[in-house]
Amino acid sequence: MAPPAGRRVGDDFVDDSDSDVSITGLDDETSRAKAKGKGKAIDRNKKDKGKAKAKEQPYAWEASYSRSWDTVQEDERGRLEGAVQDWIARGRRRRLLAPAAAIRRTIIRHLVLVLDLSSAMLDRDMRPTRFDLMLQYAREFITEWFDQNPLGQIGVVGMRGGLGERIGEMSGNPQDVLKAISERHKLEPTGEPSLQNAIEMARASMSHLPTHSSREITIIFGSLTTCDPGNIHDTLDECLKDRIRISIVALAAEMKICRDLCAKTGGVFGVALNEGHFKDLLFELIPPPAQRAVARPGAQGANLAADLMIMGFPMRLPDTSPPSLCVCHSQMKSEGFLCPRCLAKVCDVPTDCDICGLMIVSSPHLARSYHHLFPVKPYAAVMSLEETPDPSKRCHGCSVAFRDTPATMLGAAGEGMSPLGRYRCPECQNDFCTECDVFVHDVVHCCPGCGK
Amino acid sequence: MDKPSHLSVVIDLSLTQWTLCAQSTNPPGITLQDFLSQLLAFLNAHIACKDENTLAVFGAFPGQSVMLYSSTGEVTTTTAESTDANTYRPFRTLDSTIMSSIAERLDSYDGMTEEAPIGLVGCLTKALCYINRTITTALSSSQGGEGAAASVDPRILVLSVSPDQSSTYIPIMNSIFSAQKLKVTIDVGKIFGAENVFLQQAAHLTGGAYVQVERADALLQYMMMSFLPAPAIRQLISVPTQDRVDFRAACFCHKRIVEIGFVCSVCLSIFCQPVPVCSTCRTKFPMKTLQRLRDARPLAAPPGNAPPRPPVQKNGTTTPARPG
Repeated sequence: MAPPAGRRVGDDFVDDSDSDVSITGLDDETSRAKAKGKGKAIDRNKKDKGKAKAKEQPYAWEASYSRSWDTVQEDERGRLEGAVQDWIARGRRRRLLAPAAAIRRTIIRHLVLVLDLSSAMLDRDMRPTRFDLMLQYAREFITEWFDQNPLGQIGVVGMRGGLGERIGEMSGNPQDVLKAISERHKLEPTGEPSLQNAIEMARASMSHLPTHSSREITIIFGSLTTCDPGNIHDTLDECLKDRIRISIVALAAEMKICRDLCAKTGGVFGVALNEGHFKDLLFELIPPPAQRAVARPGAQGANLAADLMIMGFPMRLPDTSPPSLCVCHSQMKSEGFLCPRCLAKVCDVPTDCDICGLMIVSSPHLARSYHHLFPVKPYAAVMSLEETPDPSKRCHGCSVAFRDTPATMLGAAGEGMSPLGRYRCPECQNDFCTECDVFVHDVVHCCPGCGK
Repeated sequence: MDKPSHLSVVIDLSLTQWTLCAQSTNPPGITLQDFLSQLLAFLNAHIACKDENTLAVFGAFPGQSVMLYSSTGEVTTTTAESTDANTYRPFRTLDSTIMSSIAERLDSYDGMTEEAPIGLVGCLTKALCYINRTITTALSSSQGGEGAAASVDPRILVLSVSPDQSSTYIPIMNSIFSAQKLKVTIDVGKIFGAENVFLQQAAHLTGGAYVQVERADALLQYMMMSFLPAPAIRQLISVPTQDRVDFRAACFCHKRIVEIGFVCSVCLSIFCQPVPVCSTCRTKFPMKTLQRLRDARPLAAPPGNAPPRPPVQKNGTTTPARPG
């Protein structure tokens, strides 16, 4: 039984607001579909909700109830199994409908995430505080960003006490970046923010980067003031010269200088209305910008987006190898990567070899995005076993036993659900359980039966 | 520290490679028979370490992958077990189940047809599916209590004798990334043959140990010292780390393993020579770039159609490209 459409969050909000107390006594026409208070927080639902909120509720305090129980319904015997299955089925559908087209990516992105650590971040207009929410979203942002930009690097800069403060060095390892912002007590907000100092610091940390990479600054800005040592428009001009793209997510209100910074450098500016909208704004900055080729005049123009690049895959030296000088810092080091063309030793990848100029990347970085290119074919739901002469007793993936008799479905038959809990690969004709079906398509991206 | 651990073992059962291994004199090889008896001792040790420890064994046979044993009872044989007062019963079940299912499979192969590549990818993905299910069932059975949810401590051990199959590059990388997501450690024991580039990367990326077994007759000792301790304990004892990790990739056009490749900027496909059109996303590359890359190529590789060879001082691990 699908939940009634009118039960979406944000609809008839006032009417429903106290019904969770008295709902057990409420005699609905569809008595089976009693929505009872069973909290089951699901990320995707939250996100949807965020969007709905952003559209329909202008004020943050109106959106404070998280009504996740509305999406979960019990079946006749008062169990949640049906609801969960239904939810999985919907997940399957969503996945099948996802576009399969190749996405154009900027191969190497460099981003400095500037966090506002001024006292304005202690405001409680977003729960629990702007500061905590920012840290939480920043973490999710970093994880997601690295997932979609395998060759990218992120550095973190904080703004507090009128200074720019380097929190995390530019790094291609998500764990390093997350570690940099993991200790909350070190980031305690105080004082005034300084946009200019922070941008200058971010600019300086990106000044040495090779030309083929993108340079971006993303600022989460909660204050309405900035306390700068000089003329910030000079900084803006410098950023333009360095082709740095600045995007700002403001938590308070629009400021002219923020708007200018974004508009002139080709970035995005947005003011968050509430928690969900804040997340949406931030996550919109994850996919590589589409208009890169247009924004960069000169060069080769139209063909800039598609090009063949020569890359080297290095050999990593262990910690125990005899120390030698690295070509990038001239330091004695044991560990490092050997350029495959000139055998020079560099400290970290991805980078350009300082000797022969070859772009050195590690192949896992590239391989991370390949599942977009070769997705697993969707498994077909097995409706009955009549056509199969010799059905397997167990799931081909995890060897769990299939149930013999078809389960009674809760009206989800049209949504690609199998009553037997079997899903068959069109290539190798092996059967998989629901668990493995979801896991293979969402995580592994490789069918255990045919290895494709 | 005291968490029970789950071990999924993937055994490479390529008959050709095992025959070569048994015949090898330098370094001295080991027969499949000896290998299995040492392996069973190791598996028994794992079960004996802790009562809650779980085990799953997957066999990578030529062209297929089979679950040979699991301690949760997915695989059972009907062989009548003779009770032996001198053997701990779980050990006996484990040993006889594994041995009989391997024997059953191997008997069905005749020596006539050319051996298919082993189903390593199938084993890895099956092991991951199995681990994924144990994690999710542990999570759902212990809602409310946090303790049991975090209690599964899974790892995978791959015992390999076969060389790299270039055609399985992408599936193996995908398995590695999902292992990373599930926080599964992949250990690799290379019993025979040259270094295995993909498995090296697997061990490196998931924080496992890659051990090139130099004396195959002392295999049990290698396994006991390196693969028996759970990842939590490995912080205290030093498990052999990898010597050098090879980050080479296989190109999409000929499945060759390349050091210097040409990469499409749109979809990140790797090619071993400059191509005018990307075969994956059909992007046309500008003529100018092609010209430039063709000019630059003789610097990187000897002219002709040969792929870039590894420099001399690395012991060559290039494998003959098999048609995918």
